[in-house]
Amino acid sequence: MAIIEASDTEVSTAGGPPAAGNDHGGHDHGGHGGGALLTNTKLAMWLFLASDCLFFGAFISAYLLYRGRSQKGGPTPRELFNIPFTSATSFILLMSSLAMVLALAAVQRGDLRRFRLWLVATAIFGATFVGGQIYEFTHFYREGLRLGSNLFGSTFFVLTGFHGAHVCVGIIWLLSLWGMSMQGRLGQADSEKVEIAGLYWHFVDIVWIVIFTVIYLMPQPGK
Amino acid sequence: MAEGSAHVLEQEVAAVARAELGGALAPAPGLLPGEVTEHPSPFKYVIIFLILVVVTAIEIGTSYLEGSVAAGVIVALLLFFGLVKFVLVVSYFMHLKTDQPIFRRFFTMGAIAAVVLYLIALTTLHVF
Repeated sequence: MAIIEASDTEVSTAGGPPAAGNDHGGHDHGGHGGGALLTNTKLAMWLFLASDCLFFGAFISAYLLYRGRSQKGGPTPRELFNIPFTSATSFILLMSSLAMVLALAAVQRGDLRRFRLWLVATAIFGATFVGGQIYEFTHFYREGLRLGSNLFGSTFFVLTGFHGAHVCVGIIWLLSLWGMSMQGRLGQADSEKVEIAGLYWHFVDIVWIVIFTVIYLMPQPGK
Repeated sequence: MAEGSAHVLEQEVAAVARAELGGALAPAPGLLPGEVTEHPSPFKYVIIFLILVVVTAIEIGTSYLEGSVAAGVIVALLLFFGLVKFVLVVSYFMHLKTDQPIFRRFFTMGAIAAVVLYLIALTTLHVF
């Protein structure tokens, strides 16, 4: 890994002077000349996502470990889960992922109007998903499920709550990018910033793919 | 003179990088940093999304087979469909298929470490 340095841009294009080759349509990338092949920010994001796999893996494992072992009574997943409703919110999160990649494709080709449109659409889909989660939490609470009512309540609220928090961070991030773009501080040359936000957003989506499959769809014990 | 030396040094660094990163370090103009080949087109993104929707629909349908099909079969099918969706999103939407292999290695390392670690923990605690 000799090429990794403590600079923003690690490796330059071979066979050409700086700013030649990979210049994103004439814009300098990251102030280091064009031709950047690997950047620390993207590498760091992938490392963060790899570590976040372990973070969510711990909560999913805790849920599986205590599944069907609640001693205190209280509502069970079978009594509470509304699969058609959660399927709809999962579909909305999938649509947000599509909107995110379309936003990236738009900013890469310099179409800032469509970029902002898709970015806002992604944030709105994300907010709708969080709204659905708040509705679900409220419904479960009214049915008697609390954080401390049983093992199901503890593991379910912690896992899905952390996921919801990740979605909220993503929404703030997307709206920040949208605001920067509206002020003219984010353009085609900054496509990588959008890509990194997109990586985070899609990660949130794949975590939900796992949660939806493992927590909601798998046969519940106690039938 | 100094500019010429810098150019030679730059070529040498790039040669080392190519040797260490599997020779996948020759970006075409217009690509993002770390992008080896061009990202999918918007049309391809929509196709991937439609595949994801169909797989999700099949997955949801499979969960309703509970009671008429053995639970083990349902679990296996659901895990398979979940894995297909996971791989599609990571490969195409997160561009691991077209980006530098080093990103794929990092992420695969984290994902596999999580699966192995927690499978060991859950097996030890007699969850399965």
